[in-house]
Amino acid sequence: MMRKVLDVKGLSKVYGKGCPYCRDATGPRFDTNICPHCASVVAVHDISFTLYEGEILGVMGESGSGKSTVVKCLYFDETVDGGTAHFFDNHGQYNLFDLFSLNAAQRRWLRYRRFGMVYQNPHMGLNLGISAGGNIAERLLMNDMLIYADIRKRASELLQRTEVPENRMDDLPGHFSGGMQQRVQIAKALATNPPLLFLDEVTTGLDVSVQASILDLIIEIQDQLKTTMIVVTHDLGVIRLLAGRTIVMKNGCIIEAGLTDQILEDPQHAYTQRLVASAL
Amino acid sequence: MRNDTPYTPSTAYPFGFLDAYAKREIRRSILKAVALPGYQVPYASREMPMGRGFGTGALQLTLSVVGPDDTLKVIDQGSDDSVNAVNLRRFIRKTCPGIQTTTLTEAATVLQSRHRIPEKPLTEEQICILQVPYPDPLVYVEPTEEKRRTMHGEADYARLWVKLYEDMREFDEITISHRYPTRINGHYVLDPSPIPRYDVPKLNRSRALILFGAGREKKIYAVPPFTKAEPLTFEDVPFRTETFVDADGNRLACRRCGATDSFLDEFTTDTGEKVFQCSDSDYCLSRSQGPASAIYTEARHDA
Repeated sequence: MMRKVLDVKGLSKVYGKGCPYCRDATGPRFDTNICPHCASVVAVHDISFTLYEGEILGVMGESGSGKSTVVKCLYFDETVDGGTAHFFDNHGQYNLFDLFSLNAAQRRWLRYRRFGMVYQNPHMGLNLGISAGGNIAERLLMNDMLIYADIRKRASELLQRTEVPENRMDDLPGHFSGGMQQRVQIAKALATNPPLLFLDEVTTGLDVSVQASILDLIIEIQDQLKTTMIVVTHDLGVIRLLAGRTIVMKNGCIIEAGLTDQILEDPQHAYTQRLVASAL
Repeated sequence: MRNDTPYTPSTAYPFGFLDAYAKREIRRSILKAVALPGYQVPYASREMPMGRGFGTGALQLTLSVVGPDDTLKVIDQGSDDSVNAVNLRRFIRKTCPGIQTTTLTEAATVLQSRHRIPEKPLTEEQICILQVPYPDPLVYVEPTEEKRRTMHGEADYARLWVKLYEDMREFDEITISHRYPTRINGHYVLDPSPIPRYDVPKLNRSRALILFGAGREKKIYAVPPFTKAEPLTFEDVPFRTETFVDADGNRLACRRCGATDSFLDEFTTDTGEKVFQCSDSDYCLSRSQGPASAIYTEARHDA
């Protein structure tokens, strides 16, 4: 039987002060996520999904549909306003959003050691003022790897695996091309072999050949390390290539979920139909 | 370290310049700092009759802990005679009637120091108070104080180590010469004021209580006696102190007392020659002229 890695139930996030009508007055039915009563933005409303070991889940949707907010909440970049998320690993289970079971330090521990994040914009995930190796070292140092020679070795291994030329290890990622910055970000996220990886629009804004090689890299990593991933994208090609299962979001809600093939070949919701039709 | 004597008629200021409430607050902060080794305790740094940055933080600590039966030594970069030390000593003597001052390390019960810990080992009977310009070692890596406090609370110091990594990468050694980040009792990392690396090992299991006062930044922190103090480093990159060796690898000696076991200052003479001399003037004089020399300097300061 497949092992559960992540179990999200009823995840919600509202930007703004919120009111009792927010949840009932927004969503795909109203084609907005801005509450007409209090003008709060319901970024994510009642999202539930389960993730199994080694699986890649695609999260698809238009700009502003809340797909990035979901992974930001799970990676503790944002606080949540409702719902639960359980993360399971060899050591046990963690109730991510429950302050009583995880304090700030424990969350940080999970974030640094068990999760990895690759942002759309490398500025978010990398410190461009320190060398590529230093960026990877940061993750390793967070894991109490305090032997300099070992850090160098591991950083060089990771950069090799993500096909960053080894002689660029001591250069600033600020001087790299976009594709190479993204590779360094992936190397950094992989530094501690996290069982769960969040990829937020990793290929957006890169030219197609670079996109292809980054996607190849992700498939290879998934193949070799059996890393569970959530891939957020609006690119159907990425979803088709990577994700086994997909959820489609609109106005902060899930409008369709299922096997990727099924969703792309036989979309049920009008929005998904339009999305698939426009891409082909 | 006795009760405060009441207002002295000569100055119309309370003993120790600060009013009783200010001293009480500072003493409370000191107790907290001792209870949480390395933790930066915020306090209401008072306005002193000298500019912030002249050691007002340490001065307030000194004024709060000394009593009329104490003997005080004030050091500036190892020297008792430089402007900062002389002026602070005069000020303390003026505002603390009855207090003894000395230049002899072993005779002092309270030592206020700028940028050095004396060469002579301190004892349980002594308190060493250091003047601190920048109390937080994390300012290098995190500009927001709020975030820094969280990082301290969670002992999240990875980014400090990244700085060391970047040093190693670029120079093959850690290039921090002073203010070397030091971990106290396995948790908080503090900035040990601009003491040179040479003095950092003296913090470890020090017999004397070491207090740090940052007047401008309004922080007090402490290394209590017999507390572990470890400079941050990698397991395979040992912490190194200044070695003072010449090109042939021989240890340089002080030109006055001939010491080869002290922190040396480098001078260039009028003839362009480089010479070295003990930074700690009391250590140097005690070696070359015997402890009696302290009485001489004492008399001179009295003038």
